Order: sequence, then C-alpha cells, then structure tokens
Amino acid sequence: MEEPPLREEEEEGDEAGPEGALGKSPFQLTAEDVYDISYVMGRELMALGSDPRVTQLQFKIVRVLEMLETLVNEGNLTVEELRMERDNLRTEVEGLRREGSAAGGEVNLGPDKMVVDLTDPNRPRFTLQELRDVLQERNKLKSQLLVAQEELQCYKSGLIPPREGPGGRREKDTLVARANNARSNKEEKTIIRKLRDRGGFVHLGDKSKPPDFRTTDAGCGRSSSRR
Amino acid sequence: MRSSLPPLGPPVSRDRVITSFPKWYTPAACLQLREHFHGQVSAACQRGNTGTVGLKLSKVVVVGDLYVGKTSLIHRFCKNVFNRDYKATIGVDFEIERFEVAGIPFSLQIWDTAGQEKFKCIASAYYRGAQVIITAFDLTDVQTLAHTRQWLEDALRENEPGACFLFLVGTKKDLLSGAAEQVEAEAVRLANEMQAEYWSVSAKTGENVKAFFSRVAALTFERAVLQDLEQRSNAWLQVGDGDLIRMESRLPDTQDNTRPSSLGCC
Repeated sequence: MEEPPLREEEEEGDEAGPEGALGKSPFQLTAEDVYDISYVMGRELMALGSDPRVTQLQFKIVRVLEMLETLVNEGNLTVEELRMERDNLRTEVEGLRREGSAAGGEVNLGPDKMVVDLTDPNRPRFTLQELRDVLQERNKLKSQLLVAQEELQCYKSGLIPPREGPGGRREKDTLVARANNARSNKEEKTIIRKLRDRGGFVHLGDKSKPPDFRTTDAGCGRSSSRR
Repeated sequence: MRSSLPPLGPPVSRDRVITSFPKWYTPAACLQLREHFHGQVSAACQRGNTGTVGLKLSKVVVVGDLYVGKTSLIHRFCKNVFNRDYKATIGVDFEIERFEVAGIPFSLQIWDTAGQEKFKCIASAYYRGAQVIITAFDLTDVQTLAHTRQWLEDALRENEPGACFLFLVGTKKDLLSGAAEQVEAEAVRLANEMQAEYWSVSAKTGENVKAFFSRVAALTFERAVLQDLEQRSNAWLQVGDGDLIRMESRLPDTQDNTRPSSLGCC
C-alpha cells in the first residue's frame, strides 16, 4: 500500500488516533482511514503470535482491506466528480438565466416601457387619474377647512351672535347675496334675514366645479364686507 | 375663477390692508408707473360702489422650474415661515390670502404648482382662468431663467390673451452676490419681452415678499374693479345681470327679483 502525500496532515487533525477510523461512518471513510484500520489490525494480529492459522487469516484480511481501499477510493473519486459536475451545471444555469431575462426584457419592452420591480414597496402603483382625484379632494377639503376657520373666527370676534348659529345656518349652501351697493347695511341685513327665514337662498356661480369656494356664510360675509 | 366666492370672515390683518398703491420693483420692467389708484377706482371705492369685487376670489398661478422656491415664496407670504428643507410639491396646492384694498375686501387664491416635469400634466389643468401668472426663477441658476419663457407660454395657453397680469420673479435674492447685476439685467430684458413686471425676492429673509404680493393684489384689485364697473355699465344698457341672483321659485316674491330695478342703478 502506497503512502499518500496527505497522510501526515490527516493524522495531525485526527485526534482519535488510528483506532478512530473504526468508529467512522462507512460513507465518510477515506483511504487514510483504511490504512489506519490495517495498521490497527496488523498490530493485533502480530500480538496473536506466529500460529500458521493466524498467518492464513492475515492474507485474507489484507486482501479484504485492499478491496475496501479500492472501493473507498473509487467512491470518493465519484463523489468529487459529481460535485464538480454539479457546480459546472449550476454556473451554466445561472448564466443562461441571466441571458434569458436580459433577452426577455429586450423582446417585451418598447422604447417607452419600463420594468417595475413588484417586490419594491416604493414601486409606482397609482394612476394619474387617481392622483388627480386625490388632489382635487384635498383641495376641496382645504377650502372647507379655510371656510370653517373663518367662520370660527367670526364667532370668536362676535361677528355672528351665537344664538343665530344653529337655526339660521341650517342650509349648508348658505346664501351670499350680491345686492345693490346703494342700499344701506340695515336694508341688506333684513333682506338676507328674510331669505334665510324663508329657507330660500341665493346661488352665485356654478356649484359643481371644484376646487374653489362654493359656500360661505351670509351673516359673516355681510358683516365683514360692509364695514 | 370669477364666479367663486371667498370666505368673507373676520377683518383682515393689519399688514394686508393696502391704502396707497404699492410701487413697482424697478421702473425698467413694470406693468404701470402710476403711484395712485386709478381715478375711477378710488371714486368707486370711496362710494362703496365696487360691485361684486369684494366677494370674488382672484386667481394667481405660480409656475417655474422645480426647486426655484415657489412654495417657499408663498409660504413666506401666507404663513411667514421659511423651511430650509426641500419638499417637492405634489401636483398643486393653494393658499387664500385676504386683503383690504382701498377699504374693500379682496381675496387672492394663490395656486402653487409643481415644478417637476412629471406633475406638469396635473398642474397645467389649474392654469386656466388666472388673473395673474407669476413665473418664478432662481436668481442663482441662469437655466431656470431661460426656462421661464416656456412656463409662461404653457400658462398663457390656458388663458385668454391679455386677461392675465404677468410677473417674472427672481427668487433666492439672499444668495445673490457678484453676478447680481448681470442676472437682473437679463431678467429685466426678458420681463420686457414677456410684458411682465420684474421682481427679485428672498423667501428666506422675506425681502420684497410682502411688497411684491401687495403689488399683485393692488393691480389685480384695480383691474377687477374697472372690469366690474364696465360690466355694470353694460348691464345697465342691457337688462340687468339676472344671472347673478337666482331665487328659489317657491319664494312668493320671485318676480321682484327678476326685475333689474334694484340692480346696477348706480
């Protein structure tokens, strides 16, 4: 049996000594382990003395160990070959896949197309119309907020007496009267009150068009516009 | 939009009260050199005869390249704040600013548009019906000045010719150092070509911001009053402007309101 060059290194790492090879799984066995086993067995046979039956058995044992060595070497070579083949195939598949996706992209996309990564949480996903609608809604709400703030300001500064609140302002589309400027303030107030009391109201402009202001409060508007 | 109504609320704050006509920034590029209100306008204001002007909301549209500071300019004026961090405007935004011009309440709805190309198709839908178009550029970036022509063209396309006051506004004045005169000379030249009034402002320091918007408000107000006077004198010749007041038909005295006798008598 030839001594392979790696023997010394292997022995260094093998803390269990030559006997350790006997405890290994047969699938993990290397040629070194077989040499260790033969060393152990040779030593024990030697201890049995020079009985001719022992010598007979020794020849057979050596033959079996040689067969084992061949099998182990063969097996390990096959494993190594398969491992290399697997790695080659893996790189080949990866290369093909990369080529494929690049080629696929070129085929499907025109000059004005783009690829969207569906796993990207920041990918584009809303339409222009949806954005338009959201903005319009926002603008509408903002204008309503401004109206409400002004109205609140009116209450705070006493421009609208609190008791007038709920009764006179049931109509959400309250009136804004554009009346003759020559009229006195008092006259106008009376007219607005009259309209309000009857539940009628005056429209100005087209109510369907967002996002400008559509509603305002008559009492509030009048009192500040005719100072 | 002419028919919309501002929220007429509490009295306007003191620094929104305009009594004398605000001056131009430079006589080299200004819309008018008059230093007083138009005679007809002061007279109308004194008599309180400004029609619906006080109820209307005049539309101001601010356009220009991204990052020139349109939003900063508007926020400095409307909220008196300046934010160092850049945040791109998404589509459009607006602010309402109430004034009292020559004793008459007057409101501007200031539309802040996105400068980013991708929002142009959204923002441009808000250009129409403007009384004022403000084209802003960055005084420290000549490219943005070069682009103002295109911005103006886009905004004008959505409006009647001659219907809008045009302003060319250079921003970030505080950052301007050596090349100031050169940039401003070019801007003035371009403003004259556009028939726009030129201003340079700083939203960071607030320099000229209030003066600028006061000028915008006064000019817009004056034109609104003059247009109103003209419309009403026409309406007097026709049969009233019954469009403005519409009563619910269940009111018993509807017929009174269809008669123009109480409208436009002065």
